[in-house]
Formats: sequence, C-alpha cells, structure tokens
Amino acid sequence: MNKCGMYLGCNIPFRAPDIEQSFYKVFPALGIEVVDMEGATCCPAWGTAPSFDIDTWLAVSGRNITIAEQKNVDIMTGCNSCFGVLSEARHMINHDPERKKTVDKNLGLINRKFQGTSEIYHVSHILYKNVGIEKIKENLTYSLKNLKIAVQPGCHILWPSEVMAVKEKNSFFPTILKELCQALGADAPHYSKLNACCGMGAMRSTDQIRSLGLVKDKLISMQEEIAPDMIVTTCSSCYLQFDGAQKILKEKGEIDFEIPVFYYTQLLALCMGFDPKEVAAISETPRDAIIEKIQSGQRLAN
Amino acid sequence: MGVLNLTKLDKNEIIKKVIEYGGKGITKCIQCNACASVCPVAKAGFPLYGRLLYRKLQTGHFEEIIEDSSSWACQACNRCTEICPQDAKPFEIVFAFRRMQASELAISTSAFTPLMNLHATGHSVYSEASKELRVRVGLKAVPVTSIGDEAAQQEIRTLLDNSPMGELGIF
Amino acid sequence: MAKVGVYVCHCGSNIGGVVDVEEVCKHAETLSDVVVSRQNLFMCSDPGQEIIRQDINSGLVDKVVVAACTPRTHEPIFRKVLEGEGLNKYLFEMANIRDQDSWVHANDKTGATAKAKQIVASAVAKARNLQPLEDKFVDVTKAALVIGGGVAGIFAALDLANMGNKVYLVEKEPSIGGVMAQLDKTFPTNDCSACILTPVMVDAGTHPNIELLTYSEIDSVEGYIGNFDVKIRRKQAYVDWEKCTGCGACAEACPAKTPDAFNAGLNNRGAAYIHFPQAVPKKAVIDMAHCINCGGRTIGCEPKISKKTGKPILAPCEKACPAGAINRSIAVDEGGRILNVQVGAIIVATGYKVMEKETFKNLAPDSPNVLTALQLERLISATGPTGGQFLRPSDGKKPHTISFLSCIGSRDARYHTHCSRVCCMYMIKQAKLLKEKYPDLEIYMHFMDVRTPGKDFDEYYTGALDMGINIIRGRVGGIEMLPEGNLRVMGYDGNLAANIEIDADLVVLATAIELQDDIKPFAQKLSLTLDGSGFFKELHPKLKPVETPVEGIFLAGCCQGPKDIPDTVAQAKGAAAAAAVPLSQGRVRINPTISEVDQEKCSGCGICEPLCPYGAISLHATKAGGNPRSRIEMTQCKGCGVCTTACPSNAIRLHGFTEAQIMAQICALTA
Repeated sequence: MNKCGMYLGCNIPFRAPDIEQSFYKVFPALGIEVVDMEGATCCPAWGTAPSFDIDTWLAVSGRNITIAEQKNVDIMTGCNSCFGVLSEARHMINHDPERKKTVDKNLGLINRKFQGTSEIYHVSHILYKNVGIEKIKENLTYSLKNLKIAVQPGCHILWPSEVMAVKEKNSFFPTILKELCQALGADAPHYSKLNACCGMGAMRSTDQIRSLGLVKDKLISMQEEIAPDMIVTTCSSCYLQFDGAQKILKEKGEIDFEIPVFYYTQLLALCMGFDPKEVAAISETPRDAIIEKIQSGQRLAN
Repeated sequence: MGVLNLTKLDKNEIIKKVIEYGGKGITKCIQCNACASVCPVAKAGFPLYGRLLYRKLQTGHFEEIIEDSSSWACQACNRCTEICPQDAKPFEIVFAFRRMQASELAISTSAFTPLMNLHATGHSVYSEASKELRVRVGLKAVPVTSIGDEAAQQEIRTLLDNSPMGELGIF
Repeated sequence: MAKVGVYVCHCGSNIGGVVDVEEVCKHAETLSDVVVSRQNLFMCSDPGQEIIRQDINSGLVDKVVVAACTPRTHEPIFRKVLEGEGLNKYLFEMANIRDQDSWVHANDKTGATAKAKQIVASAVAKARNLQPLEDKFVDVTKAALVIGGGVAGIFAALDLANMGNKVYLVEKEPSIGGVMAQLDKTFPTNDCSACILTPVMVDAGTHPNIELLTYSEIDSVEGYIGNFDVKIRRKQAYVDWEKCTGCGACAEACPAKTPDAFNAGLNNRGAAYIHFPQAVPKKAVIDMAHCINCGGRTIGCEPKISKKTGKPILAPCEKACPAGAINRSIAVDEGGRILNVQVGAIIVATGYKVMEKETFKNLAPDSPNVLTALQLERLISATGPTGGQFLRPSDGKKPHTISFLSCIGSRDARYHTHCSRVCCMYMIKQAKLLKEKYPDLEIYMHFMDVRTPGKDFDEYYTGALDMGINIIRGRVGGIEMLPEGNLRVMGYDGNLAANIEIDADLVVLATAIELQDDIKPFAQKLSLTLDGSGFFKELHPKLKPVETPVEGIFLAGCCQGPKDIPDTVAQAKGAAAAAAVPLSQGRVRINPTISEVDQEKCSGCGICEPLCPYGAISLHATKAGGNPRSRIEMTQCKGCGVCTTACPSNAIRLHGFTEAQIMAQICALTA
C-alpha cells in the first residue's frame, strides 16, 4: 500500500509535536502518503473509558477506526498505548458477537458503522514491512556508523501478540526496532533490561516515585552494559519518560549520566537530512551535541 | 494481618461481579505466580499487584481493597496475558477490578481529569501551551483531531453521555 | 412360543432413584410371552444372578431380558449365567434403562418410568425372536511383536519370551535402550542408569526367543488378534552388520557433522556413527541424510583409482573399517528391505520425547546456557559431550549458580495441560547429584508444586532441603540475558510473596513430555487413537490401562502417558501378561453376532464389497460357474451392518440383529 491513515492520539500532537512533524517528513519521502484522520479523538486512553466500561471503550475506539474506514485506509499510530487500545478493541469487536452488537447500537447513535476493514499498524511496522530496510538505507544522507543505540520498543507494541497484525518472531527478544536502527548504520546491542517496562503511563500518574524506579533500572542497565550514545524508542510514552526522568533522577543523585533520547522517526528524519528545528526540537535531556554529531559532513552516507 | 475467617466473605458474589465486568478468567487462576514474576506493577513495589489481587478477589475481598490504587498503576502491558499458563487473561481481571472501583467512585480525583477532558475536547490530555510548540516546529497551531472539530466533539459527548460513565455525574 | 423372563434392576439408586422399578416390573408382566417379571436391588450381584439361574433351571424361562445398566460392562456377566445353566448365552437381551434413561432424565421421574417401560417392551420384542448362536474360534500364532526397544519394550519382550513365546523386538534406532539409556542416574535410588539397563539390554539381545530388529520400523499391520500380518522395514544401514564389530573406527573417521540426538543436540556426530558406547547391538550405521559423500562419491559408484599408487581411493569410512563391513561401491537399496512376520499379539512401547527449549520464547532460548533437563543429563553423564565434566556450554566455565524451572510446557493451556509427572523428581535428582559433587554450587529450584508421590520419593525431596538446595514456590515468567552469557531469572517466591531475581550461570528447563512428531501416521497404521493430551488412548482409563480398542494390541510405557521407570516396568509386565492371554490360550473367540451371506440368495452384484470398512467382504467364483458369490471373512467382520442393509437381494443376515428382531423392536416402540 502507498497511503495510510495517521492516528495521532494526544501526547504526540500536544506534548511532542516534533514527533508528529517527523512523520510528515519521512513517510512521503519514503513513498507513503500520510492521510489525515479528521475529527479523531483520544483512543481512548487506558485510564479513561477502558477503566470504566468496556462497551464505551469499544465505541470510542470503534469511532476512531471508522474515520479511517471511511477513507479506505489502514491506520498507523506512533503511540504504543494507542496502538494497544485500538488493536485490542478491534480484536474484541471482531471476535465477540455480543460486543459487536452493542458497538453497532452505540455507533448508530452517531450515524457511524464499524466495518472491520481497516487494520491497525504502528508506524514502525509500516517502516519495517511496507517501506523496508533496503529503501530506508537508500534514502539516508547521514550514517550513524560507530554510534551505539539502546533500543526501547516499549510494551504495547509487543503484547498481547495475538491481537496484532504484525508480530515479532520472539516478542520477548524483539528485533524490529533493532533492525530499523541498524538500517541507519548504528549498532543496537542487547542490554539485559531491554524488554522491561519504563514505568510511564498509568503507573506514573498513580505513583511517580515507583514509576521512576523502573526507568532508573533501565537507564542503569543501558549505561553499565552498553554505554549508548542515545536511546531510541518507538513509543511516545517511553520517549516522554526517558526524556523527562533523567533530569529528576540526576537531581536526586540517583544517576550521574545523561543519554539523549529520540523517537525513531525523529532520528530517521535527521539521518535523511531534515531540519532538527522541525523534527527534533523539544526535549528535556539536551540533544544538540548528538544532533550536530549526526548531521556532520563526516557522516555522509554513500 | 491476624486471622482471616474466609466463611465470612461472600466470594461467590465478588467472583460473579468480576466476571460481569470482564474478568472472565478469575476462576481459572491457580496462583502459580508467573504473571507476578514479570509484572511491572509488582516490580515497582505496589502493594496490590496482579496475582495477589486475584487471590483477594477469589476469596471474596472487595470492600477491604477498594481504596487501593495499585490497580490504577497497571500499564495494560499484557506480559501477564502472554505467559499465563491457564489462559486466565489476568490483565482483564485487573481492569474488571478497576471498573468495579470506578462504579463505586473509589478512584483518585486525578483519574477524573482525563475523563473530563475527554468529554470536553475529545482528548484526555490537552494543554494550551501545545499551540506555541506546534507553531515552533512548523505545524498548524491546532491539529486535525477533535480539538478543533465541534461536530467530532459532539459525537464523543453523545457516546459518553449515553454510557454508564454518563451516570457518574462528572460531565 | 418363547418363555421370556424379565429382570429389572434398581442398581442401587442409580435407576431406582428415578425410575419406578415396581411399575416397570408390573408392566413387563402384561407383555405377551413374558412368563415372569422380577426385580432386585443389584441384578448383577450373586443373589440377583441366582434369581435368574433358578428360573432357567426350573424350566420357567428360555429367553432372558435384564433391564439394568449397559451391556458394555455387564452383558458378559449375564451371558455367563445362561451358559452356566445350559441355556445358549445368546438368548439374552439387555435393556439399558440407566445410561439411556435414569441417568439422562434424572429430573423427570414420570417420563423416565414411561421410557423404561418402552425400552423393556422393545427388549422383550427382540428376545422373542432371538436364535441360539455358537462361538467360533480361530488359532493363534504363538508369537508377539513389541514395537519400541526402550525400558518398557525390553521388559515386555523379556517376560513374553520367558513364557516361551517367540518375540520380535523392533526398534527404530540402531540400538535398544530408549531414553533411559540417555539418563545418568535414576531416582530415587540414584543408580547409574546404564548399569541397571545394560544387563537387561544384553538379556534381550541374547535371549533365544527374542529376535532383535533394530534400525527398523513398522511398514504395515494387517489382520486381527491372534493373526496379525506385519511388514517390518529393516532400514538401510549401509554397513554390513554381519561383518561389523562395533569398533567405532568409521565414526571417528567420518568428517560429516550433524547434531547428535543421543546427546540432545549438545554436540555433533558424524554421518557414520554408533548410537552410544553400550549399544545393543553394537553396530555402526551411516545416516545417509547427513552423509557428505566424500569425494563426490555416492553409494553405488566405483572408487576412482589413484594415479600415484594405482590403488582405489576409498572413502574415510571404508578405509577405516578393519572388518571390511563398509563397501560404498555396492548399489544397495536405500529403502532397506521388508521382513514379513506373523504374530498373535502386539505391544506398542514407542516411548516419548521432551519439548525443545526453542518453543519457550520468554525463557531466552537463544542463550547456549539455557538447557533442557535432558541436555543437562547428558552434560553430567560420563558418556556425554564433556565426559561428565560440569562445564557450561557458552564458555566452558564451571557454573556457580544454577536455576531449575519446572512445568515448562506442562500444566499449560498454551502447550500441554497434562502434568509430565517425572519432572519434580528428576529435577531434584539432578540438583542432588550436582550438590553432592560440587558443594559450593548454589542451586535454586522454581516449582509450581512439588509432586513426589512414589515410594521413598518424598524423603528424596526433603533430603534435598537438608543439602541446602533452595526450593521456591512460584512459576518463572521470564529470563533476562546478561552480558557474558549470564542469565537473570525473573521469578517469584510465593511464600515470601515477593518478586525475586536469580543471577544464574546456567538455567535448566524441565520441558514437557510429549509423543514424537510422526506418531499420528504410526497410530493410524495400527488403527489406534490418541487421547486429548496426545498420548495413545487406552481402552478404559482405570480398568483397562494396557488394552486398546483394537483387540490384540496393547500399550506399555510413556507412549500411554508420562510415567517414571518403576511404573513403566510395572505396566510393561502388565502388557506382557495381557498379550500372553491369547498366546497361551492358543485360540481366540470370534464373536458370532456378525454378518453372513446366504450363498443361495446372493446374486453376485458386488455392491457389498466396497462398502465394508474392514475389508471383510470379497467375491468368489462358485464351483458351478456363473455369477460369483459374496463371502464375509468372519475374522474381519465387526458386525457393523452396512452390507446387511445395502444388499438388494436381502441375502445378508446380521446374526443377533436380524431384520425380524429389529422390526419387532420398532413395532414395540411405536405401539
């Protein structure tokens, strides 16, 4: 396919719009037309409708999916949480006839009908499967050779694997993000806590201290085992957590290092030569130094 | 903790409720602890994490645990679902418990804010400051989502008002 | 005029609690030809049977109807009663008013009683029309086939052979021994496995009544109990076993490499190999699938002549063999050859395999230091890949901390729901052996439950605690891979109620016991079925654990369900005893309630022949010429009735279920 519906969610358009901008830059350049999903709402987030009533959850998710169905496109999203909410909702509607009946009734109130024709993908799935590693390599201006990346795939992109359209060979030792980073020329070595949770999302709102405990374990595993030049993630929640937590942990004296954090498409955009002021402009952990390193004449690919 | 008299707890009623709210696998859990061994909530140190919560529910606890916010730390990561050897779908039991807590309004007020935002704007997270950030990176101040789309907001309000959440009195 | 006696059973409260037996009894008296109708609390008991005996003896009845439970279990009992009083045992009909009435209509007593009356009337209608039948007998071949040469097959074969029967012991590997030969020590006595197994292996290999057929598989099985016709494929070894002395020179010389299944894939073997050092028979084979055909010389080609020496350039295996047992110039048949044997009974003892670690994605299967328990067993075994030295695969270093994980694939809805029964004990065995040898080794054992039910088994377990082995109750959800091949087990201590981590050098997975991947086609060859867990299905889970629905075929060992060595040997002896019954009786009874063709009425149309699911019907030329006539082989017929109903000339009669009998039943039911 050469076009896909872009589901934005909430955090990306409002807290990290540079990530959103990176989508609009890299996808068309790689042959995928980004189709707007006008009127899309929150997925709805795990802590909202899904925590109150299943049918409301399925109705709100279903409504979002119908926006793409009406345009005859599949959906790609950059937020792992949204990906999880939408994938599980779609799976439940398709496999539970009772739930489907209720969804039909509820969507009928707003003159919408759920068809089940749009698949749910993550932006990294589109890059991996539809664009492909080779094409990414061919479109690079800068190479990340000799740079080391600690990858953070996140949770909802891996489990529950049975509801996903694109699956890892082994979801406990995932390789898709690793390969996408390697396509940029970088090394993406394994570190022991690679598939551990970063603690963002509902946990952070419930108890920030405990949430920070989890991301600290990850940061220490990364630093001690592989000393990476940057952390790269395909989850907007993980991005906010890794980017925001380091300053707090440093102030508390719990860590004494700093690792710049990128969302994958931001890094890809930088390697394709796009302007960091548009695609990688907002962060708490400074990235200027590494961005300058990446977009230097010495790193020209080809 | 002292002594717990199990005959004084109404476990059949609680189990029925859990199943009603979506936690169908509650009777399948044999307390093997596989889920707890990989659960971020357990690892982060919350007191009422997965496996323990299911035991409490299986034995008929509800009033005693309703105020515990551990269930709201569940990330829905689904590691538990992936490895449960009884296919009990543990994640769904946690969320069923959340729904039971929500139906009794036993949740922190901070959990209401995203819900109220959802009703008002269609987004659970929103800030005015985003406009400036967006323009800074070269985007329009307002994205194409429901935030600038009155009709879309109306649709979401219709869905929410006509749901059990509409009866909570928070919209 | 028939004199039918009706006997209605209460079966305790099974029937009597739902059906009004008194009323049914009274109703039966009103049916024509019924001369007496009685009831009893348990008709099958001695006093119950005595009632029937007296009525037959006094000449009061000459046809018997018992309204009770199922003929499946109780028909033989009552038939014996008739036979004992000199009345033909086939003049008996059973009315099932339990399984088909009281058990399924427990909530409708009125309805159930009415139905019981109808069922009895139907049975009486049939009884009126019953004819005496005679059992037939055929001779039994006094020989047995045992499929599988593991500990189960070996003991079954020895018992049968010692009873004086000829036994064919077929094993698909080059040697007998099975999985037990791969074990180091055996619980609960910690005997060396090879030390207790090899003597019986040698016994089986040298017994005058046992013909050992290793490196062989079953090609086909035809026939029936007492008269099985079996084709055994003797696989092509590419080594002349008449000449081979088992010296192993060819195995050493062979440059090919393929994972050695005997060492659970921990090291490689050549294409030419001997199964293991204590093999019986100790003969080499060349695994042609992995032979690299040195010098491009395939089997059946003459060797090139060396320009230097003028002598033929032989393959390394040919050159190495001092006994001249390998000659690659001979174009032998790659399919081996077929041996056709006749036997009276068959015992299936095909054993099991353990699941591979690759299936368990969350348990770091790519790490070389994550092993299955069978792999660990080979690692610590003196005949294993490290000569018994406990070194870990990734770097050959000695482990300091090791974790054992139980129930990997067992008790798991995603793989096998069954418990594999032996893992708790063998994990403790392995832990104890290691702790004895290496007291500084820290051992953690992660159990769901600790299941140690056999003799001296629980003492074996508590003994492990005394040695300082750490027992944790809590299933493991994942393993993290640390640098340098180390592992972190993400576990949970159920009693501490805490998440735990173990930093281990080596992790051992007790993977589930299951049957081989190709077991289904094999089962189909013998018309055997597999149960819900994928093991061979026995005839009755409690009362017939070694029999199968196919008369004359028996089961022994783990192929019927996971079990340890003591239980395997017990079952093997049980199977041998059961198999010996037809062999020692010398004849088997053929059920007379089968179909027969009236040669006069048969028109030779041939419609019946292809319809028979058992291949029992064939057309034969008659002496007088003209149309052939159909004949049913009584030893094959199971009395299913398909041919009977299909015959357009009404020439086939199904004894015991004749048209007159069935029509009478229908009339009685629709009255």
